[in-house]
Amino acid sequence: MAGKTPRSLAEAMKALSLASGSTRPTILGKFPNPCAAKTMATEAPRPGNSHIPYSEERIPLWRPDAKVPLTIHSFPSLEPKSLEYWSVQHLHVPMRKDLLHLAIVYEGDNTRQGTAHVKNAWEVAGSHRKLYRQKGTGMARAGWKQSPIRKGGGKAHGPRKNRDFTTQLTRKVYDQAWRIALSYRYRRGELIVVEENGLELPVRQDFVDLCKAGTMRPELEESFYKRYVAEVLNAQALGKAAGRTLFVAKNRRDLLWRGLGFAGEHGEVATIDEIDVKDLLEKGKVVMERNVLKELIARHQCDLVNQFAIHGWVNKGPPIGQLALKAD
Amino acid sequence: MPPRLSILQATRFSRAAVEPSPATSLTALFAGLSIQFRSAHILASLSDNKGAYNKRIRKGRGPSSGKGKTSGRGHKGQRQHGHVHPWFQGGQTPLIRSKGQKGFINLHKLDMTEINVGTIQKYIDEGRLDVKKQITVKELWDAKLLTRLRDGVKLLAGGMEELKAPIDIMVSRASTQAIAAVEAAGGKVVTRYYTKDSMARLIKGLSISTDKPLPVGRRHVAKVLEEHRARDKFYYRLPDPTGRKDIEYYRDPAHRGYMSHLLQAGESPSLFYKVPPQIKKRTIAEEKAAAKLGRDASGPKKRVDTMRLWE
Repeated sequence: MAGKTPRSLAEAMKALSLASGSTRPTILGKFPNPCAAKTMATEAPRPGNSHIPYSEERIPLWRPDAKVPLTIHSFPSLEPKSLEYWSVQHLHVPMRKDLLHLAIVYEGDNTRQGTAHVKNAWEVAGSHRKLYRQKGTGMARAGWKQSPIRKGGGKAHGPRKNRDFTTQLTRKVYDQAWRIALSYRYRRGELIVVEENGLELPVRQDFVDLCKAGTMRPELEESFYKRYVAEVLNAQALGKAAGRTLFVAKNRRDLLWRGLGFAGEHGEVATIDEIDVKDLLEKGKVVMERNVLKELIARHQCDLVNQFAIHGWVNKGPPIGQLALKAD
Repeated sequence: MPPRLSILQATRFSRAAVEPSPATSLTALFAGLSIQFRSAHILASLSDNKGAYNKRIRKGRGPSSGKGKTSGRGHKGQRQHGHVHPWFQGGQTPLIRSKGQKGFINLHKLDMTEINVGTIQKYIDEGRLDVKKQITVKELWDAKLLTRLRDGVKLLAGGMEELKAPIDIMVSRASTQAIAAVEAAGGKVVTRYYTKDSMARLIKGLSISTDKPLPVGRRHVAKVLEEHRARDKFYYRLPDPTGRKDIEYYRDPAHRGYMSHLLQAGESPSLFYKVPPQIKKRTIAEEKAAAKLGRDASGPKKRVDTMRLWE
């Protein structure tokens, strides 16, 4: 009975507009518009599902079209390159700390290897000879060396191999947690989106060639990268002082990966498949490519989309990013 | 590289671009006031809702816990010290031993997905099923009415009074009442043999849905090959039943079986019981006439095979 609520809501709105005497056309479109000219032509039958008699009365669901702006920057200069509008259901989802908690516990459970293993008494190598005779030594009676009560013996109830810690989480909850994490970063201004495939560290080509040729000593290369990365990131408030940064790219970018491999104190790099909800919340800031953000949202919106058609129309959710302004 | 814009300026740019909208609600008016800055990291403050977890019961930890003295295990015996099997009946001869086991599990039973006609009408009302097209396994799957493939789909008559739309439906089985309900609404039911694999291929678009059984016989080969070659890609053919009971089901016009057109007039769908053919008795006059001629009036008798299913 999903159709009941919008119908009654629309009816309530209709009643409201009648009561206030508004001259605006109602959303129902049931009342004739006095300004519209009458046509003499014979009206063609309306296309659609005329075979269902009561589908004519069906009123579309009320879907507010709320959006928030998102600036796309260049990297590493962080110049604004374009402005986009993103749906509030993608980038302005209200905070739900319980869902974040569930998602992070779920991820933590699923990353546990469960391979911890210690030897029990029967697995510890050695002879099972009786240590000394039962009576007459003045010592406490003792059996074998591997007994769990003896030093060097086996563990009585230690972790056994191949334990499975994986847990389940409702897909809709997990997808919502992804968007909550992104929205939290967005609201705090800590989500910096750069151009598509534009997340790369600009390093002079002659330097790269020298390193490749082996002319540059490894220590020299490392010290150069460290200083260069620190200069660039600290100037943009992305470095260690700003709480480190997570850089997410679609694919591995050689120079950025090399640079942050040397200067790991300023942040971390990851491809889109390597991150999870907890990674999005850990560092001081998150820098990601526009296509990465698009793909993350597309992957995690199963609660917003339908997989079946209603009158031939499949609800694919709100559009993921719409261009509003472009530089130059 | 000299940075041209600091990160603060950059984020300010995005905030400035927010179009100031006239405040429409109280929430929007107070939205600006609720800004709160906390230095604590968010990961340190995440927790589930209050009441989402129950506190673990700690048994044997003192009388005030309520589970202190006997830890909820009562007094004495195996119940206190160990575990009594749930099927132990206190020493009474177990029912399974005195009365024996009743019934059995039929391993050959078909596990059908049951779909009621009322549900189909509901999906049509919601626009999730199209009455203009024939409703097959693929349509039911796309509408998410069918979400797990089993041995087949059976149409039942639940909610038959709600069925108004004239549907054209093809499923594995249909109940007598369901057939009556669909046909009373001006619809059509065809039952067709499906296997789990053939339904999966239909859903993936690897087969073409049809209510025609496969033609059998050498004279069809050339035509079938020609049809296959004319297609853009290879399509798996849908299988026909090979078991006697399945063949009998789909030969039966009462089940609206897709093989019922193969029945000759007066032929029974059963392959086991033969209905005796109706032989017209000759009248005495005809007998006499035949005797007069000295031979059978109808000439030499031809053997007619009434049970022909295939060539």
